[in-house]
Amino acid sequence: MIKMQQLSKVYRTHLIETHALRGFDITVKEGEFVAVTGPSGSGKTTFLNIAGLLEEFTGGEFWLDGVSVKGLDDNARSKLRNEKLGFIFQGFNLIPDLNLFDNVDVPLRYRGFNAAERKRRIEEALGRVGLSSRLKHYPAELSGGQQQRVAIARALAGSPKVLLADEPTGNLDSQMARGVMELLEDINAQGTTILMVTHDPELAARAQRNVHIMDGTVTDLTQETQHAIRHVAETA
Amino acid sequence: MWNYYFVLGWRSLKRNPILTTLMILILAIGIGASMTSLTMLLVLSGDPMPHKSERLFVPKFHIQDMRGYKAGDDPDFQLTYIDAKNLLRDKKGKAQTVLYGISPTIDSGRKDLPPFFERGMATTGDIFSMFDMPFRFGNGWSADADDAAANVAVIGPELSEKLFKKDNPVGKTIRVDDRDYTIAGVLDTWKPTPKFYRLYGTEATSRPEQLWLPFTNAVSREYRNNGWNNCSGDGAGPGYEGWLKSECTWLQYWVELESASDAPRYKDYLNAYVAEQKKLGRMPRPEKLQLLNLREWLEDAGVVGRDTKLSTWMAFGFLMVCIVNLVALMLAKFTARSGDIGVRRALGASRKEIFHQYLIEAAVIGLVGAVLGLGLSWYGVHILSSRLAAADDFYQIDFKMLMITLTISICAALLAGLLPTWRACQVRPAIQLKSQ
Repeated sequence: MIKMQQLSKVYRTHLIETHALRGFDITVKEGEFVAVTGPSGSGKTTFLNIAGLLEEFTGGEFWLDGVSVKGLDDNARSKLRNEKLGFIFQGFNLIPDLNLFDNVDVPLRYRGFNAAERKRRIEEALGRVGLSSRLKHYPAELSGGQQQRVAIARALAGSPKVLLADEPTGNLDSQMARGVMELLEDINAQGTTILMVTHDPELAARAQRNVHIMDGTVTDLTQETQHAIRHVAETA
Repeated sequence: MWNYYFVLGWRSLKRNPILTTLMILILAIGIGASMTSLTMLLVLSGDPMPHKSERLFVPKFHIQDMRGYKAGDDPDFQLTYIDAKNLLRDKKGKAQTVLYGISPTIDSGRKDLPPFFERGMATTGDIFSMFDMPFRFGNGWSADADDAAANVAVIGPELSEKLFKKDNPVGKTIRVDDRDYTIAGVLDTWKPTPKFYRLYGTEATSRPEQLWLPFTNAVSREYRNNGWNNCSGDGAGPGYEGWLKSECTWLQYWVELESASDAPRYKDYLNAYVAEQKKLGRMPRPEKLQLLNLREWLEDAGVVGRDTKLSTWMAFGFLMVCIVNLVALMLAKFTARSGDIGVRRALGASRKEIFHQYLIEAAVIGLVGAVLGLGLSWYGVHILSSRLAAADDFYQIDFKMLMITLTISICAALLAGLLPTWRACQVRPAIQLKSQ
């Protein structure tokens, strides 16, 4: 589903060059739930932004669902992003002056669905996260956990192939975080590929696969390491 | 998607209401000032009779003696009684008329309405068809009435309502300076703008006269011209007879030709007339005969003054200043929404779609600014009307002005929105999403 080969990303200013990613190789298969861990500044978010077509990369190759994204213009990247990807952010990033219905409607508008199709998808997505009774509520009227559920509904409404989650539980208490994580697992179980950046070893342990990013390079953790992470999580 | 962008733009007005109000006010004030000036300019520079302005002419030729003459001077714009009478007699046009202003007293005979002065016009019966003057009741007077200097009158709608309310007064009499005149017709509302038929001795924006009498009758009653008289040279001899025989110019002359192509033929006739008069010892100045059609006449009379043009330029300069301020405010507003832009970009909006959305939002501000600006324009025009046209709403904001206002306002807002919108498109979603 996602394949990166020798990917690099360099941020340049007139004074310095920062290599955020270098020689980055990763392959994520369809239906996988991959947790991405690493210390702050290691390149996790850069990787996620490139995977989400929000940033361009400096060198290497990147295929998304078989499509090489290298050299695509803004329109093509936006279309691909809209059709294939769903985003969940740590800060929820809901639009405050739109109600839940209209928030979930945003990606569907850009997709070009007709009104009936959009309505069906919005109601289905909000129903799936347990918020179908709050269509007319505004984000400020919801708890953090509920807002994240709306963000998940928004990400799901367009039936994306890949869900990119950047610290999805970072702003939630443990109970709400558990709920959101269960929801993500349920979504993954229904076939959606999930790529999740997290600092939380407990969450990482619940993913099928863990990759670790350090200084802009990726290490695919072994089965044993995963066991070790699980062990740390269980004893924590 | 355009409907969606419009709805988003409309909703966005409620966001940050102080900034939004400020933007709309700035635009509305700029639009109000510029449209008020533009209305005045368009009204004054408009063609009051577009369907026949090419066929209506004012003749101009030198009449006075050499005193005060400088080479290249333009001829006077009015004629003497002698010349006007000669041209009327020759009837070389399809129709011709002469006119001058009078200010007689009207006595209604009613106790509740004491005698009052009324602005009137002495003219010939041809004028009503020449200038397509509409009638509410009756008609103008005949050529026979002109010849007979008959006591007939045509009155304006305001005078008619003042004296006879809503009744049809045709056939009734009106007492003008102790003489009864039979009313032949009542004009309907007629407000040529500018008031082309008599630009001198009156305001180009003033309302039409309410009493119209035959020229021959007014002369027989020795009515003096209530307007512009030019009596350079020897001036007039004693009495009214001396006035009529003088070389004083005081009569406005108009001729209607079958077509614009007849103008050279009529000009030949005028040249011949002037040559004949020169033989009689009149018109000593080197001749510079002119035959101006209606539009040329308005231009020649300088109806659109330099002040009007200047004030219009200044008003549009002010609009530009408003647009610059609007740019700054829109930048502030759009920059504050970088987070939204980042989210939309992440959810699939291309730069082009963000550009469209924010440009439509700017257009919505332009639309609301136009509505408010239109109100201010209406008020400005109303003030101008009351100052210039004797409490009569002379300037009207019609459909054309409405469309011009909307177009200018929306274009101004779009122009102001270009830079902020372009900046909005440059938002890097990755940075915005992380910083939220």
